Parts: sequence; structure tokens; C-alpha cells
Amino acid sequence: MSAVTPFQTARALAAGYAPRVLQPRGWVLAALVLAPVGLVLAISAVAAMQGHSLSPGVTLTVFHTILAKATLPIMALIAASAGIREDLEQRTLPLLLTRPAAVWAMPLGKGLPWFAWGAIWLTAASLGLQILGGDPGLLMGRIGALVGAWWGELAFVALFGLVFKRGTLWAALWLFGWENLVAVFPPLLQRLTFTHYIESLAGSRGHSVSATELLAQAQVSTDPWLALAILFLAGLGLWLACGWKLHSTPVGLAGVEAEG
Amino acid sequence: MIKLERASLRYGAVLGLSPTSFELPEGGGIVGLLGPNGAGKSTLLQLLSGLLPPSGGSVEVFGQAPYRNPAVLAQIGLVPEGDRLPVGLKGRGWLRMMGRLSGLDGAPLEAAMAKALDTVGMAERADLPFPRMSMGKRQRMRLAQALMHAPKLLILDEPFNGLDPEARLTLMALLRELADGGTRVLVSSHILSEVAQLTDRILLLFRGRLLAEGGISEIRQLLDRHPVELRLSGEARALARWAVEQPELVALALEESAAVLSIRNPRDFLPRLQKEAAKGGLPLTGLDPLDLNLEAVFQYLTKDHA
Repeated sequence: MSAVTPFQTARALAAGYAPRVLQPRGWVLAALVLAPVGLVLAISAVAAMQGHSLSPGVTLTVFHTILAKATLPIMALIAASAGIREDLEQRTLPLLLTRPAAVWAMPLGKGLPWFAWGAIWLTAASLGLQILGGDPGLLMGRIGALVGAWWGELAFVALFGLVFKRGTLWAALWLFGWENLVAVFPPLLQRLTFTHYIESLAGSRGHSVSATELLAQAQVSTDPWLALAILFLAGLGLWLACGWKLHSTPVGLAGVEAEG
Repeated sequence: MIKLERASLRYGAVLGLSPTSFELPEGGGIVGLLGPNGAGKSTLLQLLSGLLPPSGGSVEVFGQAPYRNPAVLAQIGLVPEGDRLPVGLKGRGWLRMMGRLSGLDGAPLEAAMAKALDTVGMAERADLPFPRMSMGKRQRMRLAQALMHAPKLLILDEPFNGLDPEARLTLMALLRELADGGTRVLVSSHILSEVAQLTDRILLLFRGRLLAEGGISEIRQLLDRHPVELRLSGEARALARWAVEQPELVALALEESAAVLSIRNPRDFLPRLQKEAAKGGLPLTGLDPLDLNLEAVFQYLTKDHA
């Protein structure tokens, strides 16, 4: 019997853990994405019945304020804790580590079902925004922005979960703290946020910067294709970093490291 | 097959295993790893199964260092201690995944899975989610995952913990069968009688040190040299009069209605005591062993060896 390739390792874990997404945690993820869009669609339908219409800006608000800034990080925090971190906490990791498989491909393999499941619902939510009156020319950009950022943020939280004891907490602080400072960041730091690439792909947040935000910096933009490539490569790099961390850390039966 | 040369392991400042050397040759058979809780059994098994690298010395399994070494891991099956299985998965799906992680796929994977399930007697119940299986059945599933890739070395860490007597006997029979089939089985336990039912080859660990290596009779002889304390309840003076005539007696203390004896070779002494009491020659109303636990015996052996 020969060693298992990284591709075989990732495929085996993805297929093995795929049923997990159809369990309550998976449906919570789906609800997190669909609930805000569904709610606004329902309000829009009621308003239409009464002869009113919602502001065209509501699509932008739902996308930028709810889906990109709140839903995506919450999804990443929920899904990543069911990733390889779960095996570490539940001490089932030794069962995987004693296989002749590529250890560094394991975090990616366990994250793939969650990524695919989230991507389906994020695409559905983007299509729902079209019904609300989203710009058809930006549909692909919105889907790319949400799915690309989901790929990156999921890997980001997974890495924090492997590197730090309270990794989920630190990742939450980053996603809800650092990301929200994008309006006051200089150009270089703007490029170190997921928000920058989401906006480069799906349209500007410029309209939302009000006069009260005295520290607001000039918004910089990145070419959409380049932004998508950066999100994909950043996510891939983060998954590989997860794999490197797992590969280089001795993990025993008690889930603690020995001084190797 | 297994070779340790002054292999040691530290958990930070704590020494999990002192420099230890021993060799196990190729071939089947069962080896028992015996020691009280905290003796270093799991640490040794983690070194052998490639979970942890040694802090010092060297560990070789099948001629190579096992840590993160697929060539070695492909020949090892591990059943870790504890009732741990991934949440939210069903038995068969999990086994399929574990088989794929061992390089099996397609028809060979399905055949290996069927064989492993059949071996552990879970072919009919493998589609249940883990929480709906009894502890014994979950243990069988863990064993099945370790057997799927037909390992030459099977490592089991305290496999009998929490099992009912019937499941225990079934597992023992299964391990004997595997060993007879050419698999080298390494079983850890803190219960001597458990290991004694399985094998006559024992490694004795205590406080991170390999105390002794040998057959079960040699280990038993070592244990028999340890004086055991017994409290005999009844008419203390009459009991004491009988006890002082016994060659195994080391020390005697009288209490109000009991005699506390310190004796060697309890396996010779106790049947004689039982026979005498049955004849009605002893005013005995109760018998309490005070320190018949493995920890006490190991502490004695450590002092003895020092």
C-alpha cells in the first residue's frame, strides 16, 4: 500500500464529512444567508401590494451591510469550528493522523464541504438580491465577491483555530474589528481587508461614507478579476498554512503537543 | 519490527517516558503493555504509532521512524483510548473515509470494509450513527477502522475500558484470532488479569520507566514478593494465633475485632485461609484486602528495583 496523495486525502475527507452539511449546523448557515434576503423580499412584496416600492439602495445595504459584513464572518466562525479544529477538540484527530495520508491536505479536505455548501446559498442570496432590483451587470461580481470572500474567511478562521488556543475569538475580533476600519484605513491597509476585495468586485461602498466619518480615507479599488484572483489565492494560501501548521505540530492522544 | 533505543518523551517540563530501550521481533502474537494509570503506556504507544516524535533517542517501527511517515503508518492500525468518534457521521461512511485515507478505493475498499466489519461482527449495524451504537459496538467500529488496511502491527490503548464482560471476552477472542493470523498485537492495560488472559509476553511500565519485560509467570513472581495487607475480621486473638503459624506472614497488628496481616504470596496464603475458615477452624467473619491494587504493587517493585 502506497502513500496517499494530497488530492486523494482532500477528496476522502471532503466525501467523508459531506453529510455533516445536511445537519443542523449546515441549515443554520443556509438560514443565515437566506433570512435577510428573504425578509427584505417579503417586505418588498408587502410594500408592492400597498402601492409602495423600496428604495433601490436597499439591495446595496443588504449586500454590503448585512451579507458581506455580518453574515459572512458569522458563517465562517460557525463552519470553521466544524472543520479540523473540531477533530482537535474532540480528540479524534489521532485517528486521521495515523493514516498514511497527506496531513497538510486535511484542513482543506475537511473545509471543502462547508465551502461548497455556503457557496450554494450565497449564490442563491445574490440571485435573490436581483429580484429586489440589483444591477444585473453586477450580479456576477456579487456572486464572485461573496463566494471568494467566503473561501478566504473560512480558511482564515480555520487557520486561527489551529494557531491559537482561542483562535475563534481572535478571528472574530479581526473580522468584526479590523474589517470595519476599512473606511478609515490608508490605501495599503485597505488592501489587507476582505472588504476591499468584496467592494472591488461588487461595487463601491462610497455612497455609505457620510460626512460624519471625518477620518474616512479615499477609497482605492482593485481590478475585479485581480480581486477575485487575490481572494482565491489568499484562501488557498491560508488553507496551505493550516496544513503546514497541522503537519508541523505533534498532536497526541490528549490533544496536546509534546516537546518533540 | 519495533526497536527503541533510549527513546524518551517530554510534555513540556513533564517527563512522559524516561529513556527506554527494547526490541520486539517480527511476527504475530500479543504483547501486553502493563502499568498503572500515568505509567507512560499511552506515551509509548503514541511514539510507536507515529503520533509524537521522541524528545530523545530513537524509535523504529519496521526499520523506520514512524512519525509522519506514510510508509510505516500504512502498516500500523491504532485503536486509541477512550470512546471518541467523529460527531455526525455514520459507521459505514466513516470507515469508507478511513479506508480512502489508507490508500484504498473502489472495489478493494468495499471488500476491505466488508471484511473488517465482518471480523468485528458489525456488518449488520454499520449504518447506524455513532450515538445510536452501544459503547461495545463503537469500540468494534474503532477496531474495524484499524483493521481495514490489514496492518502488520495493531496497537490498542486500554481497549477493554468501559466494556461489559461479554464484549470484553469477544474482543479478547478477536485479538487472539488476529494474532494467530500473523498480526503483531500490542495491547495496553492497567489491569494485570486482563492482560494475563491475552498473552504471556508483558512489558511492565511504571512512572515512565520500563520496569520489567518478560513472561507473565516472571511478572507474577515479582508481584508475589510484594507483601499484601489483609484485614481479617472476627475474634482477633484466635485469628492472630493461626496467622503466626503461617510462613507467608510478614507483620501482624491487632485491632479490637480484627487482625491486620501483612503477607507475601497471597496466592498460596488465601486458599489455605479459605480452607481453614470453611472447616470451621477459624472465627473469621470478614476479609478485606487493604492494598491489593496495582499501584501499590508497582510502588513496591520500584523500591525493590532501586
